Amino acid sequence: MGEWAIEARGLEKSFGTVHAVRGLDLSVAKGEVFGLLGPNGAGKTTSLEMLEGLIRPDKGEIRILGLDWKTDGHEIRGRVGVQFQSTQLDDRVKVREALAIFGSYYKKSRPVADLLKLLQLEEKADSFQSKLSGGQRQRLALGLALVNDPELVFLDEPTTGLDPQARQSLWDLVRGLKREGRTVLITTHYMDEAEALCDRVGIMDQGRILQLGTPRELIASLSQPSYAEIEFQGAAPEAGPFAACLGLPVEAKSSHWAVSLVDPREDLQKLLACVASLDIPMQQLHVRRATLEDVFLQRTGRSLRD
Amino acid sequence: MYLRMFLNQLWMSLKIISRVPSAVIWLFAFPAVMLLGLGAVFSGAAEGPKLVWSHTATDSKADDFLAEALRERGVRVEILSPADAEARWQQGKLASMLEGDDGHYVLRANSYLMMQALQTEALVQQAYLTAQARAQGASDLARVPVTKSSPGGHHDGPYAAFLLPGLIGLNVLMMGLFATGVTDVTMRDKGGYKRLATTPLPRGIYIGAQISGRLCTLVASAAMLMLVGGLVFGIRNQGSYGAMLALILLGGLCFSSLGYLLGSFARTVESYSGLANLLFLPLMLLSGVYFSLDAAPVWLQKGAELLPLAPLLKALRAVFNDGATLLSQGPQLAVIAGWLVVLFGLAVKRFRWV
Repeated sequence: MGEWAIEARGLEKSFGTVHAVRGLDLSVAKGEVFGLLGPNGAGKTTSLEMLEGLIRPDKGEIRILGLDWKTDGHEIRGRVGVQFQSTQLDDRVKVREALAIFGSYYKKSRPVADLLKLLQLEEKADSFQSKLSGGQRQRLALGLALVNDPELVFLDEPTTGLDPQARQSLWDLVRGLKREGRTVLITTHYMDEAEALCDRVGIMDQGRILQLGTPRELIASLSQPSYAEIEFQGAAPEAGPFAACLGLPVEAKSSHWAVSLVDPREDLQKLLACVASLDIPMQQLHVRRATLEDVFLQRTGRSLRD
Repeated sequence: MYLRMFLNQLWMSLKIISRVPSAVIWLFAFPAVMLLGLGAVFSGAAEGPKLVWSHTATDSKADDFLAEALRERGVRVEILSPADAEARWQQGKLASMLEGDDGHYVLRANSYLMMQALQTEALVQQAYLTAQARAQGASDLARVPVTKSSPGGHHDGPYAAFLLPGLIGLNVLMMGLFATGVTDVTMRDKGGYKRLATTPLPRGIYIGAQISGRLCTLVASAAMLMLVGGLVFGIRNQGSYGAMLALILLGGLCFSSLGYLLGSFARTVESYSGLANLLFLPLMLLSGVYFSLDAAPVWLQKGAELLPLAPLLKALRAVFNDGATLLSQGPQLAVIAGWLVVLFGLAVKRFRWV
């Protein structure tokens, strides 16, 4: 009991010959918003389903709110809320009915009117789910995870496929959960989402957590925490002479070059000098701070969206 | 607590079913239309066949005798001039047409509609013999008396009375194979079951409420069929309503289990539909929903009796048409119960939430 909402040690899960999760250790403190980050197929959903008690790990220990799925499953289910990537409830259930029927599964449940207000779905209360927009559907799915006033909420890629405005309104809801003192475990492959919402993130790839910390710590751990990008009007020219002049590796993309800056002050001066001396037809120059995306790239050598 | 959960869930499932147009159509509109349509087409009893008589308007004693004898046999005679009659014949809707007058007649039979034409011919031949005898002043010959009776012997119902229990059984079959199985596959495929598995709702309560909801609709649909059958064809349940209810529930459970079992073999609704149709068509055709299988080869009949639908139909018909008790249907009940045990056991064993 005590301070941990989730404790997992040495989780492993295989499906046939596929090792979906290979040795996951995870502790999430009560009141924390924790993000599991990684590309599709990294093992996020499998990890989540083990923590949610849906599938049994082949190996390892899980404690949820200090309880064990094997002996206290019924109690855990009453105290956690779960949202899936794509829950397709029956389209012919109205929003109000869905909240009410899910509420009836629990000993205590929040009033439907309160939930509708929280989710900003009051006007859609008597609509069928098939008439909801993508954002409204996701808000309802989140609402169904909140009917029992849960202490711990699992969110699996809650904003995948949403437009920016709908994402923002879902983010506000998640921030609200944190203010109310709930623990949130969220999976996402959007790095900006993790930076915006999470107290701590774990970067997952190929069934393992590669690195774990606050978003700031992870970015600071990069050897080159900032980047310069030189953009061209048309195709980028051959980068070899420029890299030689600069003395740093240059990553040549189709229409721009990207350079990791070791010492921003010195490297930028050198960069501008080389642009001038080699007469590089630079259109624009961007300097940006590294993101979690870069952390992932550096740790795995691959980009997240692959 | 659990009772309230069950009732809430049952009420929700009934609401959902009532909002699925195809469910309402298949459960209520389709059987009603089948009963009314097939019942009327094959009843034959209400009105005799129509017969157009191409006739020139001369006064003839022989014609009068024939017309009277035809009327006595229930033939509805329509007399037209040769030109008009020929025009009607050309439209192709007449099964047969009587031509000529004053003792010299020809019956023209439509080669496309020989079944109906032969039926009319028999009546015309009899009427002609009677008319000839009467014209010669002889008294009528004795005829073989006919009594109407269903095979069980208790009720002289029309074809609709044979059909009605068949349609109830067909509904039970379709509910299990289509409504149950398709919902099961969809819930698993789209993650609906998985979502429920994360709540404290006991699984048995959810599935129990789903099955109960469908059984309720089966009973409502059967009640509607009996009401329509009573109002339109004057057929009534000769047995006890309790026995009918028990048979519908037993059959419903058996075919619900079949739906869940079959659902566990399919990933998507598309692949499920193929599986379900593979079972549906033979079951429907071999079990005698619409017609008695007396004409089928014996091995086929014996085989069909081992499947769950044929005994269900047999028992439903025995109760509904012949007033049989449940106890007298022991062999049929045993076959259905045996299937129920096997299918239910396998369905539970193979059931997966994820």
